[in-house]
Amino acid sequence: MKPPKFSYVAPTTLDDALKHLASDPDAKVLSGGQSLMPLLAMRLAAPSILVDLQHVPNLSDIEDRGDHIRIGARVTHREIERSALLADRLPILSAAASHIAHPQIRSRGTFGGSTAHADPSGEWPTILLALSATMQAVGPHGNRTIEADDFFVGPFTSTLRDDEILTHVSIPTTRTAWSFQEAAVKKGDYGLALIAATGTPRGGVLVDPRVTVGAAVGSVTRLVAVERILTDEPLTDELAEEAAVAAAESVKPISDIHGSSDYRRKLVASLVRRAVVELKNGA
Amino acid sequence: MKKLDSHQHMTTPVIAARSVGTRVLRSEDPRLLSGRGEFIADINLPGQLHVAFVRSPVAHARIIHMDLSAIRDADGVALAWSGQDVAPLCEGLVGEMAVEGCFPTTMPLLAKDEVLYVGEPIAVVVADSRYAAEDACELIDWDFEELPAVTNADAALAGGPVANPQLSDNLGLKGGASFGNVSEAFEQADQVVQGRFYTCRVSAAPMETRGVIADYEWASKGLRLWSNTQMPHYLKYMLTAYLGFPEQGVEVITPDTGGGFGQKAHVYPEEMLLPLLAREVGRPVKWIEDRRENLIAGAHAHEQFVDIAYALDADGKITGVRTDALGDGGAYHMPPWSMAVEPWCAVVMTPTGIYDIPAAEYTYSAVATNKTPVGAYRGVGYMAGTLARECLADDAARALGMSPFEFRRHNVVRDFPWTNAQDIVYQEGSWLETINVLEKMVDYPAFLQRQSELREQGRYIGLGLSVFVESSGESTATSQEHGLGDVYHDTATVRLNPNGTANVTIGLSAQGQGLATTMAQMAADTLGINVEHVSVQTARSTSHAYGSGTIGSRGAVVAGGAVARAADVVREKVRLVAANMLEASVDDIQLTDGLASVKGVADASVSIADVATSIYFDTSSWPEDFEPSLEATQAYDPAQAMFSNGGHAILVELDPETGFVRFEKVYSVEDCGTVINPNIVEGQIRGGVLQGIGASVFEELAYDESGQILTTTFLDYGLPTMDVAPPFEIHHLETPSSHSASGVKGMGESGLIAAPAAVLNAVNDALTPFNVVLRDLPLTPQRVLKAMSGELSTAQQEATSTQGETGHA
Repeated sequence: MKPPKFSYVAPTTLDDALKHLASDPDAKVLSGGQSLMPLLAMRLAAPSILVDLQHVPNLSDIEDRGDHIRIGARVTHREIERSALLADRLPILSAAASHIAHPQIRSRGTFGGSTAHADPSGEWPTILLALSATMQAVGPHGNRTIEADDFFVGPFTSTLRDDEILTHVSIPTTRTAWSFQEAAVKKGDYGLALIAATGTPRGGVLVDPRVTVGAAVGSVTRLVAVERILTDEPLTDELAEEAAVAAAESVKPISDIHGSSDYRRKLVASLVRRAVVELKNGA
Repeated sequence: MKKLDSHQHMTTPVIAARSVGTRVLRSEDPRLLSGRGEFIADINLPGQLHVAFVRSPVAHARIIHMDLSAIRDADGVALAWSGQDVAPLCEGLVGEMAVEGCFPTTMPLLAKDEVLYVGEPIAVVVADSRYAAEDACELIDWDFEELPAVTNADAALAGGPVANPQLSDNLGLKGGASFGNVSEAFEQADQVVQGRFYTCRVSAAPMETRGVIADYEWASKGLRLWSNTQMPHYLKYMLTAYLGFPEQGVEVITPDTGGGFGQKAHVYPEEMLLPLLAREVGRPVKWIEDRRENLIAGAHAHEQFVDIAYALDADGKITGVRTDALGDGGAYHMPPWSMAVEPWCAVVMTPTGIYDIPAAEYTYSAVATNKTPVGAYRGVGYMAGTLARECLADDAARALGMSPFEFRRHNVVRDFPWTNAQDIVYQEGSWLETINVLEKMVDYPAFLQRQSELREQGRYIGLGLSVFVESSGESTATSQEHGLGDVYHDTATVRLNPNGTANVTIGLSAQGQGLATTMAQMAADTLGINVEHVSVQTARSTSHAYGSGTIGSRGAVVAGGAVARAADVVREKVRLVAANMLEASVDDIQLTDGLASVKGVADASVSIADVATSIYFDTSSWPEDFEPSLEATQAYDPAQAMFSNGGHAILVELDPETGFVRFEKVYSVEDCGTVINPNIVEGQIRGGVLQGIGASVFEELAYDESGQILTTTFLDYGLPTMDVAPPFEIHHLETPSSHSASGVKGMGESGLIAAPAAVLNAVNDALTPFNVVLRDLPLTPQRVLKAMSGELSTAQQEATSTQGETGHA
């Protein structure tokens, strides 16, 4: 389990990082390395050059920008878990961070790295889709922003281009109703199913609810049928049951050694039910 | 059964317990816990080269063509060998066990004509670095023709495609025996309960993987081999027997080792190849197994089916037991234990357990499949056998309308010594007391009330009981008691130093059991000195004491006996000189608490340190005709088989929405005779039970139908973590052995042996409202949820499938 040969650079500016990235079609960005290095060690990936972002400035802040919070790509999961600002303004992130792997991994692994990796089992893709986050990327031709809905497009696949670097994620703070559910056999395992549900509470109902599923599916997905049921309806146990049924009917779960698609369908239904009950109790 | 001839080395001295029985802190811990251990990966020899293996990516194929020239031309490569290259040096390792109906196999060091399992080494590369070696491995040029993969034990048993051409009917083992009138018991039974239990394929998954370093010195023909093996002396013997290295020049060195659990108690192709490579390249060579290799190519464990039936009379007494075990052995017999290690041990050693069953019959078989060979893992065969027996006991209790405690109490052996139907003699035990103590610990009536209250709320808790008796202190007598002819004995050397401190060397390598601490306690009490004044060296090299291996719950018993015997020789020297110094009769001299004193005379004493100093430096203290060596080496082997016993009750809760099994509490009772050190015994219980929890709920080495292994990292192989470990309540019973030093019995394997039955019984207890009984491990969330969904009724119990819906192909 030793990686094949690769070159390594640790530029000190974003421009240099972009130049290195553009220099070779097989170049790859290295952030915390908690997903990439195992892939290299198992020789499932063989990039020609790794561009390490650790010395690139201004990527490690969590900033309160009023109606949204901007998180730098190099912020670690552990920093998110411990951030007082996030605990106050986006507590779903603090809650979810503690589900990510183990403390050692959380201390190295980064928010931007996990987001760009677009692992369907990752907590951040599921949550960012539910929070309607906006990704900020920089490339050789300048900056652009990508909505979460347009970012996660397949298993381990985002619309980030090979020559672009994800620098920040902006998350609106208006979705104050939230629930995050993860069913993992053991703490620190990848979940068998993840559900994130958010919305803006107004007059006893949720405006514009978003409900997403991860891990049980090939790519993080919105459960639109569930969102429709929750929209502008008073949250009740009956509604939770209706949402669970809709989730089971609409989700397209994967099947692997950890659980059949039938099992995961039931799991998704249970987690959606729990999420809606939690939204109800929290609202 | 033939009884063992008695020999000098089977007697043990009487020891006055001082430190024995107390919670002496582990002397290993300051070093190991502060990162000062030296493990095999930490060892680097000047000029060493690194080894990597090319392993088969397919389960079964004929090798048509193999060309290593690109590998040999690669940067940094010193040597590359295929199976063709190595075969003239060693044909392979013969695997068999001396039991009826065992058909041997020879496992090549590198596959030559056919590959028989994914992970089988097909080529080896020696290079400047492990990186270069792994880069070169990718350059292998070979063609193969795929052959049908045999991945299912029942199919292999039925004939059809052959997994290993050396076993044309796939049978590696077949036999059986009958004791008492079994047919009559079943014909006259009031009712028969039966079931087929499956223990899934798992890995011992030690925290430290395997590793080998070989250094050959051509001028002296000396070979030094570092291996984190549990059996250094056996490995030395094999290096001599298979490879012809001169025995007197071979030294096997065992550094600190991070867990073995039986996986490191084999002789592996890698251990045979490294010395040959070192000799060929003229430089030291090093191989450290990575985790993926360990999960794929380290010995696998457990996979077998056990069919068991009890004949019950109208009273609810078990009048007969029939057991059949079918092991899925993998591609070869794993030397030295073979495919027999699971099914044979399961049916020979466990069916009567603690129960007074007058008739027993068993059959066993093991088949070759195109999977990694199955070898030893903590409590070989005992786990599956105990699972079948104890879970069937719960089935019987349900059928009879009795509580699990009541049914066991109704059938338990009460009088000792007891000879079971197979003529195995159990000298002593606290079998009935174990049941009673556990029932009290769990407060059974209160549990039943809580269970029924929670059910009303849609919560499902269950309590599972498992009571065991375990053969311990693996010895010549134990082997003979079970119909084998293996000879064991171990030596220890004890030296008393001039200041009255002692150094002890034992012949067993340590993998984390705390042997240096417990052996210091045994030596200290035998010598009458303070335990802090004893330093113990476990077998770090075959140059010192001899040992038959750290296996079979034997360390405390066998090394303890050898230490006590050697210390006793030194003790007698000290007593002789003390008698001379105190002008008393040697018969009246006693050694305790650092003093040699005269029995009954208050002031007449001299410190043991002064006696030792005098023996080294003052001839005037010597009695006439004295021989001053304060060093002795003695062997020990228990005179009789000995058995520990105990039980666990495990409390679980099932989540009806996810199927997750949560562990609330473990209650353990252990009787390993005299407890040398409660901390260490309790550590063994906790670790063993947690491995049992892993093997029942979280762990499975899964294969697909093509023989591809699907669980090659800890991402997919679910080793339990601290987070799932429940709190323990542990109760010690002490029924000393009549013949071991201090009355000690072994218990290193008992947790893993007995815990899975308690887990399965607990889950089935929780499932009672759903009218379903599960019998296959592991209890995955998917299977538990299915059971709770009403999709399985009693009529269509999951019982006899050979193919669960997840994983095991």
